[in-house]
Amino acid sequence: MKEDFNDTENLIVRHFNGECSEVETATLLAWVNESEQNKKEYIALKDLWDSSRKMADYTEIQLAKFYKEQYFRSRKSRMVFIRSAIAVAAVLLLALVINIFVPTTSEKSMDGYQVVTVPLGSRSKVTLADGSEINLNSGSELTYANSFTSQNRSVTLSGEAFFHVKSDAGHPFLVKTKNFDIRVTGTSFNVCAYGEDVLGSTTLAEGKVKLQLNKSNQEFVLKPGEKFMLDGNAQKYSLVNADVEQETAWKNGEFIFKSIRFSDLTKRLERWYDVKLTCSDARLMNYTYTGRFKNQETIWQVLDALRLTSSIDYKRTSFREFNIIYKSNN
Amino acid sequence: MDFDSVFRKYHHRLYLFTLKFIENESDALDIVQNVFLSVWENEKLGVDELKIQSYLFNAIKNSCLNYIKHRKVIRKYEQIAAAELKELEVFQYQSGENSLIEKESLQQLEDAINSLLPIYKEVIILSRYEGLKNKEIAKQLNIPVRTVETRIFRALTLLKEKISPKTFFVLMQLSGTFK
Repeated sequence: MKEDFNDTENLIVRHFNGECSEVETATLLAWVNESEQNKKEYIALKDLWDSSRKMADYTEIQLAKFYKEQYFRSRKSRMVFIRSAIAVAAVLLLALVINIFVPTTSEKSMDGYQVVTVPLGSRSKVTLADGSEINLNSGSELTYANSFTSQNRSVTLSGEAFFHVKSDAGHPFLVKTKNFDIRVTGTSFNVCAYGEDVLGSTTLAEGKVKLQLNKSNQEFVLKPGEKFMLDGNAQKYSLVNADVEQETAWKNGEFIFKSIRFSDLTKRLERWYDVKLTCSDARLMNYTYTGRFKNQETIWQVLDALRLTSSIDYKRTSFREFNIIYKSNN
Repeated sequence: MDFDSVFRKYHHRLYLFTLKFIENESDALDIVQNVFLSVWENEKLGVDELKIQSYLFNAIKNSCLNYIKHRKVIRKYEQIAAAELKELEVFQYQSGENSLIEKESLQQLEDAINSLLPIYKEVIILSRYEGLKNKEIAKQLNIPVRTVETRIFRALTLLKEKISPKTFFVLMQLSGTFK
């Protein structure tokens, strides 16, 4: 027994000084694991062995190295910053030339998500990592995870967007909105789901989409040319045949409306032109409106056209704010 | 406490602590450097000193554990017992036990070494200060290797007794709670 213990002593010291063979190290490991007492003994001796080591002190050298590395890191990020600053400046300049008052689409990255925000009065187009293209209408916000890949295709939309989804039957593309989710494999469709709107809709241009209500989990399958509308408050829905051209004209810079209600018209104009339209006359609500505008018109021209063709007059109340008045036909 | 002061105060101790588990000195320096980088980036300096110290040592332990695991994978079955011994050590320190390095007992240890009998002090100096292998010490002192090993073991046992019995008692108490 005594001899055996001495062997362990020597084994420990040999191991400490890196002179153990593999078999010897395995023997030592077995001894350490044999009992809690052995383990404590081993740890205590090893700690003394380690702590008594005299090592060169690298503190000052390492501190200087640390600052040197930080300097290069910051210089690298500064260079990236300068480069992106130039890009931003170019975009800003372009935006200024196009329209001084219209802010540009912003792309923010936060907590693992990319958020594309399109301000009122402008439109934007996004191409995702899987090759899907999304046109975003005024006042929309598209959110997708940084982990968005061609295998994991999921986006969240608040606003209006036209999706042209890259076909991939194995990996469905998911669009989440306030009141319903849309699951597709490869199609083109329009979604209108502004957060502040009670009514949300989806119009299918081509392919097939599956739609699921968030509240009831009820599912619908849309055929091309069909439009699904949902009243988010009442959870009432309707499926109608729609004019796809009319629904998707906005992405080509056109504004087409057929028999829409006055409130819908003003809401659309407000987003399109980034203006505020107020109206207090209930009589206007009884009319439906049909028309077609190209993007070239200004809000003044649009309102003038409405004044000429319907019982509408308007007054500018402040900067980008108009009051719409009912005008009798006498 | 500003970054420089923290760096100057802890760098050497963290380096020594890392060397407990990692033989490669430049890898050990890299690990320490990365831990300081995390301090720099997260601005953990606002917290009180005790927390900085435990943050630093814990970060080192975790980095060492990852390093050992990685080495185990890439070196497969080579020296698996040695890696397991190191892992066992890190786990022991992770469960609350403190090293003499963490407890700032290095000066105390040096004093203890200086108070050892010459035959014990000699082997410690040669192995720990001058970095000689047991065989080299045997040659230099003209004694058998086995005697060198026995003397070193004896020296370590004596140091264990000399180094604050009170701390040692606490250390034993702590380790008694481990499963």
